[in-house]
Amino acid sequence: MDFGRVVALSDLTLQVGPGVTGLVGANGAGKSTLIKILLGLQAPTSGRATVLGHDVAQDSALVRRVVGYMPEHDCLPPDVSASDFVVHLARMSGLPVAVARERAADILRIVGLDEERYRLLGTYSTGMKQRAKLAQALVHDPELVFLDEPTNGLDPASRMDMLRLVRRIGTDFKIPVLVTSHLLGELEKVSDHVVILDAGTLLRSSATSQFLDVSGALLVEVLGGVAERDLLGQELAAAGLPCRPHHRTVRVDPPPKGVDVHRVVRDVVADHGLGLVRIEPDHGHLEDVFTEGVPHV
Amino acid sequence: MSEPSPTQHPTAQHPTAQQPVTGVIHDIGYRRYTGPRDGDARIAFSLYVTALKHAYGLGRSGRSKVLPFLLLGLTLLPAVIMVGVVAMFGFDEQVRTYAAYTNTVQVLVSIFAASQAPTIFSRDLRSRSIVLYLARPLSARTSALVRWAALATACLIFILAPQLVLYVGGLLSRLDAGDETLSFLKALPLDLLLAAMLASITGLIASMALRRGFAVVGSILAVLVVSTALSAVQAIAAEFDSPRTGEISGLFSPWALVNGLASVMDAGVEVITPPQGAVMVSAYVLAALLMAALPVLALVARFRKAGR
Repeated sequence: MDFGRVVALSDLTLQVGPGVTGLVGANGAGKSTLIKILLGLQAPTSGRATVLGHDVAQDSALVRRVVGYMPEHDCLPPDVSASDFVVHLARMSGLPVAVARERAADILRIVGLDEERYRLLGTYSTGMKQRAKLAQALVHDPELVFLDEPTNGLDPASRMDMLRLVRRIGTDFKIPVLVTSHLLGELEKVSDHVVILDAGTLLRSSATSQFLDVSGALLVEVLGGVAERDLLGQELAAAGLPCRPHHRTVRVDPPPKGVDVHRVVRDVVADHGLGLVRIEPDHGHLEDVFTEGVPHV
Repeated sequence: MSEPSPTQHPTAQHPTAQQPVTGVIHDIGYRRYTGPRDGDARIAFSLYVTALKHAYGLGRSGRSKVLPFLLLGLTLLPAVIMVGVVAMFGFDEQVRTYAAYTNTVQVLVSIFAASQAPTIFSRDLRSRSIVLYLARPLSARTSALVRWAALATACLIFILAPQLVLYVGGLLSRLDAGDETLSFLKALPLDLLLAAMLASITGLIASMALRRGFAVVGSILAVLVVSTALSAVQAIAAEFDSPRTGEISGLFSPWALVNGLASVMDAGVEVITPPQGAVMVSAYVLAALLMAALPVLALVARFRKAGR
């Protein structure tokens, strides 16, 4: 996709499967452009894309029949009620009147706008607007939904609610989701698969589990403060485990073969009278992909 | 409904149930829809009907019904009075012909088009909900054309309503049915042309000036003020014995075009400098068709761009 002076997306080759796919990238990385190309709203300068078996250049009308789209920006007229608006858009997707009414009511309940659905959209808070936008993307029972920054502008609690809903769409409703965000941490919770865009090029695309289970390291936390943590670290090192402090915990690097780390940790903790809080695998974070800076394409 | 009453043991109702049922919250959850879906034509018709209703404030807030119905009332009032006069004094023809009546209420017709175009064209562009339409089956082109058709229909209804009152009233007053029908049929193509031109001009302005106030003022300027100014030009041209100037100036206003053509058709409209000769008449027809068609092309382009 070439905007004249700005090349928004280049040399992008990727496949998106069922479940929830996260599309991550900084602002301007090309996430929204990619979705608009897939919807047939923008024509790519070169290359081709297929959505649910339909070519987006030739059959964009067929694509738009079967997908739902939640734009990033505000897109709700202020002078109608959520109920009327969602019913109308359901009609615009081809649902018969009675079905449109029924499904609009169902979907508004599911996104949590049961009580407020007769209020004018202009009176909605940001969180409610995001829910209404999500409702219109789902009302016609699409076979695929594109959610462009659904958590934009939400407070932490509503953000969690929205992410939970996104997860439900993929798992309970069985509708494949392509969801974008500029926050990696959000998407690692809800996605089965993560695609990372950086300045219009593909940085990485793989299953979320692959991002997370690469380290094989353990995090060990004990009661107390820095003194206790350091004591644990020294003793574990003395017992032959490579380790280093990591925030409030001691990070035990993948041990040499044949050493039972859990047994060693238990013994060290018991011998020094430390209070063990937890041992957990070090999942790492998706951010590591960026900090590592290694493109795995 | 299916909740067992607390006095009965649940398994009494469901002897085969392994787990006792103690109460059910009906969370039907998400349901798929596998039934039939409308094709593009029906979706377009649904959009047409909605937009047409919205032009008269139907399906919108109570306040938005006030202006269109007030204007409709004002444009019907003289017709009702004229019918009364014809009936009372036993006239053998209408006080005004059908085409002339529309010209008399041109201020009302123009204000109606100018004030209602924004509800069809500005609203979705301004709130950017247009993107939600464009992400659905109807293409940008169809979406723009359907909205234009709805506005043109709204204008046509507004123009035809008083003419129908005159026609029916005239027939009830025993005016000559043949004469009345002929006069009415002469006005009909002019009404269609006028409705199409008004919808095009006001629709395009509304899609450009997204603020309702600007759109209304701009449309009134383009439709009414220009028309009044051109009438002045025509009067001056006639005074200075240069009717050609007046005829040419008439090419630039929808009202002057319709009235010029009405006078050519002998539909009972007085024009200071009516188009003379086949060339000028064809120019009037062509100008009217272009004035209806060109803004529609611009509207389509505007809607295409909105999706990006």
